[in-house]
Parts: sequence; structure tokens; C-alpha cells
Amino acid sequence: MPTVTFGEAIRQAYEEEMTRDKDVFLIGEDVGRWGSLYRSSRGLLEKFGTDQLKDTPISEAALAGCGVGAAAMGMRPIVEIMYIDFISIAMDQIVNHAAKWHQLSNGRVKLPIVFKTQGGAGRRNSSQHSQSLENWFVNIPGLITVMPSTPYDVKGLLKSAIRDDNPVMFIEHKSLYFDKGEVPAEEYLIPLGLADVKRSGEDLTIIATSWMVTFALKAAALLQQEGISCEVIDPRTLWPLDQQTLITSVQKTGLCMVVTEAPAEGGWSGEASAVVHEHCFGALKKPVRRHCGMRTGIPYGPSLEFDCIPSVNSIAAAARDLLGKPAAH
Amino acid sequence: MNELKEFYAQMLLLRLFDQQCMDLKKKDLIYSGYHPYEGQEAVAVGFCAALQPDDVLLSTHRPHCHAVAKGCSLEAVLTEMMGRRTGCSGGLGGAMQFIAVENHFYCGSVVGSNLGLATGFGLAMKQRQSGQVCMCVFGDGASNHGTFHEAMNLAAIWKLPVVFVCENNQFAEAMPVKEFVACERISMRARGYGLEEITVDGNDVEESRRAANTAIELCRKGQGPVLIEAVTYRIRGHYVGDPEATYRNPAEVVEARKYEPLVRTKKKLLDGGCDPAELEAMQLAISDKLATLEQWAIQQEFPTLECAVDHVGIALANAPQVRGPLATSI
Repeated sequence: MPTVTFGEAIRQAYEEEMTRDKDVFLIGEDVGRWGSLYRSSRGLLEKFGTDQLKDTPISEAALAGCGVGAAAMGMRPIVEIMYIDFISIAMDQIVNHAAKWHQLSNGRVKLPIVFKTQGGAGRRNSSQHSQSLENWFVNIPGLITVMPSTPYDVKGLLKSAIRDDNPVMFIEHKSLYFDKGEVPAEEYLIPLGLADVKRSGEDLTIIATSWMVTFALKAAALLQQEGISCEVIDPRTLWPLDQQTLITSVQKTGLCMVVTEAPAEGGWSGEASAVVHEHCFGALKKPVRRHCGMRTGIPYGPSLEFDCIPSVNSIAAAARDLLGKPAAH
Repeated sequence: MNELKEFYAQMLLLRLFDQQCMDLKKKDLIYSGYHPYEGQEAVAVGFCAALQPDDVLLSTHRPHCHAVAKGCSLEAVLTEMMGRRTGCSGGLGGAMQFIAVENHFYCGSVVGSNLGLATGFGLAMKQRQSGQVCMCVFGDGASNHGTFHEAMNLAAIWKLPVVFVCENNQFAEAMPVKEFVACERISMRARGYGLEEITVDGNDVEESRRAANTAIELCRKGQGPVLIEAVTYRIRGHYVGDPEATYRNPAEVVEARKYEPLVRTKKKLLDGGCDPAELEAMQLAISDKLATLEQWAIQQEFPTLECAVDHVGIALANAPQVRGPLATSI
């Protein structure tokens, strides 16, 4: 199976979907000439032209609105917001219109639109270019929120998001674009709303999102050497949430930790924790542990940035603590 | 003359419909804030007369007369405002936000948003070479919204078939336009974005129709977008019962009533030899029709709790089969 980067997997998804359906188009800042900030649409302008790759002015509100209007007319826009931090400018169009029109039209207006953006820390961009804002969208009825963690997942999920008739928030992580992974040469789709067990284990369930999935997997490998067996679950879609996969795992392990880069307070990590408590109370040996980003703006600079979000070591330490095992030496 | 009489009939319908809605608001049969349209009827009628049925109209939080002028049925608009199932949005939208897809009519209660949305409708129309235009009506207040700037520019650089209509009724809620717009005319802002600019007397229904025609023709020829400022006057408050004395002198309204579109059109018709009895009969017929409509509307059912969650989102494919019995909904 070919090994490609996360960014290349996105490019393949675009290419396949734009070839399949001429109504699919990508609109955003520098998606054409540059091929997007992390080059995930490179080369596509030459192949598909300006009808399907639309470079726009720095006007997030207008281009989000443009996507909603075009989707109402039956097109399938992918609106790229370069950094999730900038989505604050576009929130009105997403929350007040994209998420409402299907209902306000008695189900007659479909909005097959993907709002595609990237968030998170790791590239020393400080507090206005590094946030994890996915929680905002989980709390809006009418939106699907997707956060892929691997090249395989991003391709299959993006293709499904483009084909879905609901507005989808598709949130990538800026530190994942150059990660490599196996992506089949033949076409495949991954259903929205389906979690994936990234690693099977017996002692502890770690539910992690986005970049934190890769950290959790490394922590699990570390803990394995100490005789601790972790099951790592990636929900992939934050909402609608695949509750069953979470519950099945925790009923087996009896311990659960939720790891997100976003601060815990008022966030999806609390939702995941509540689902586990509500459905697995009898099986739980201890309350669910949340291990999340600190409640602060992501600081600039090489070390502080990483100190403010979970790390492989901090996840492993939290896991040992939850299991009542001694700290590593 | 016949066209003017038809315009008069439509404007009179909107006037009486608006008054009926105010009355229903006072009776607490319209529940949300209700934004009266009195005095602005020439904009709705004149501009909508220039649209084809499949052209799109994006309206505001003061949408009911735009909706009727665009072709939405009185039944669907009135019962939407009354929160009944027969309304355009099944009674879930209310007096400020509803969608009538078959009439290509959309409105919403966030000031300024529709300019952004208009660029998307325009983009799809242009890309598909459908020959349609999108008309986006907004108030003078919306002209200070960030989306106004972003959307004007985007529409202009892509030459989209969008007619932006600034329905300048002189007030943004309680603030007079002269206090929040420093330039002489809002339409002048078109120059800054490189799009066509038209200013029209929005109380003159024939002039409004002509301006709309000019703009629409430009758009259909690929020479859009166009910004039109239709100058009119809001005779009533921002909403029913607003503290009007805090922002204007009652004498100003008395003066404005002399120039409102129905007074002007009626005078023109009578000067042209129209029989006053005919106009009287027209008014009585409309009043009868609206009274019957209200009797019917009051009997319509309210949506159920099931209706409230019916269309939040479209179910994911094979949801329970793939995701188990605990599958969550969108």
C-alpha cells in the first residue's frame, strides 16, 4: 500500500471528488496558486481551473457566506478557512445560516458544504494561530464536526464530508500535515460518525482527538513496556458521536481517560466523559480522567507551547496515576 | 396607467397586510419582535416586479412584504409569522426568518449576513450560466456591517449577477442614518469597490421598477454587480411599540406621510383620470380578502415537538446499522 503524507491524502481526496463531480469546488485564501498553506491542493488549479479552485480575498465572512449560498443552489463547496482562529470572522454564516437553513426550509434546502480548516499548536504560531476551537461547533445543532488524525482517515472522511448533504466542520491539525501513513490506491470512503479503535488494550481506554491520537499511541507503546495495556480510541467525528465504540471499550477496561488539546472546561472532553459516566457507571473503577490543554492562550516559543498541551510523557504519567501504578523512573 | 394601477393594488395589499400584522402583534398572535414596513411598499413592489420567478431574493428581518411581493402566498407568510404549521418554515422561523424555496425567497434576522450569502447564489448562477440574478435587500444599517464590505468586493471582483439593494429607510433601529453614515449617499460606496451605482427615489414605484430593471439587465449581461440605494422612509418604529420619541420628532413623520408611496401613486392615478370609486372598491376587496385570511390563519395548527427536531440535519447514511442503537443525531 502506498505511503503518503496527510497533506497528499487531502490532495487525493480533492482530486477524486473534483473529477467525480464538477459541482465540487474549493474556495479560500491561496487555495489555487499556492495550493493551500500546507500545499494540500497543490497542482489542482492547473488541472481543474478557476471554476473549481477559487482564490479569494482575505474575507472570511464573505467566503463562508458565499459557500452557503452556492450550496443552497446545489453546488458542493469546500470553504477553506486558513487557520481556525480566523473562523471567528465567519461564525455568523456558519452558525446562523449554514446550521439553520435545512430546518428553516422544512428540510427542502440541503447544504452540502464543508468548512475545512486547521487548528492546534506545534508550529510556534502563538495564541491567535494555534487554538483548538472545535468545541464551539459541537454545541451547534445542525453541524457535523470531524477531526481526522491519520492520512488514511483524512482522505476517507473528507470524501464522505464532501458527499454529505449536511454542513460539515472538517478540522485538521497543522502539526499533522507532514505525517505519513498508508493510503490505498483504490477508492474508499470512511463513514462520518464512526469511531476507530487505533490500538486494542485491556487495562485503560484512552479517548483522544486529532494530534493527541498520535501522542496517545506513543504513550500506549511506552506503557506497554511497563506491562500496561491501553486501548486508544479516535472518535474521528466529534459529533454525531459514536457512543457505542466508547462504551464497549470502557465496559471492557473499566478505566477511561479523555485527551484533547483544547482546554477541558466546557469542551467536548466533558461530553465524552459524560457519555462514559452515563453508560458505564457500573463498570468504571474510577471516575473518567480528563487530560487536556491548559486553560491559557498558547504561548510563543519552543518549550512553553509544548508545556501547555498534553505530551506523550504527560499522557503516560496520567495513565499510571489512574491505574495506581508508580511513576516511571 | 394599467401597470401603475396594478402597482397601486399590490402596494395597497402590502400596506393593509402590514397593518393587519401590527394588529396581530398587538393581540399577541405574532410573538416575536415585529418590524412594520409601512411607507416602504414601493421598494418591495417596484423591485420585485423586475424579477423573474426563478430569480432569488434575499431579504431581512423586515421580510414579510418582500416575501409577498416576490410571490410567496399570503397564507404561508402570515401563518409563518403566527407560528403555524402552514407557514413557509412550518412555523419554526417566525416573523423575522423564514425560507420559501419554491419562491426562491430567503430571509434572516441577522443584519448584514445576506450580503455574504448573495455572493454564493450569484457565483452558482454565473458558473452555471443560468441567466438568473440574485437580489439582496438590506437596510441602511447593514451598510456599516463588515459583511457589506467583504461581499461588495467579492461580488465585484468576480462580476457576479447580484443586485444589492440598500433600502434606506433613514433609521438603523433608533439611530438616524445621518449620524452613522458620513458620505452623502450610501450608493456612493459602490465606487470604492468598483461596481455600478444607482440611486433611486424608493417612494416612487415606477422609478424603483426602472432602476431594478436597469440593474438586472446589467447583471444578466454579465456587467454586474450593482448597488442601488432606494431612498425611502420608515413611517413606523423599528418594531411595534418602540420609544420613537427618543430618536425623532413626530412632525417629521407627519411630513413624511405626504410623500409616502401610496399617497403619491394614488394622486398620480386620480390625476390621470382614474375613478376614485374604483380605488375604494379595490381597498374594500383587499380588506375582505385579508379578513378571510385571518379567520383561516387563526385556525391553523401549531407545530409539534416532533416538527421542532424533524429537520435539524439529514440523518447519516445507515446510522443505526453502522453505529449501533446509541447513534446520536446531528
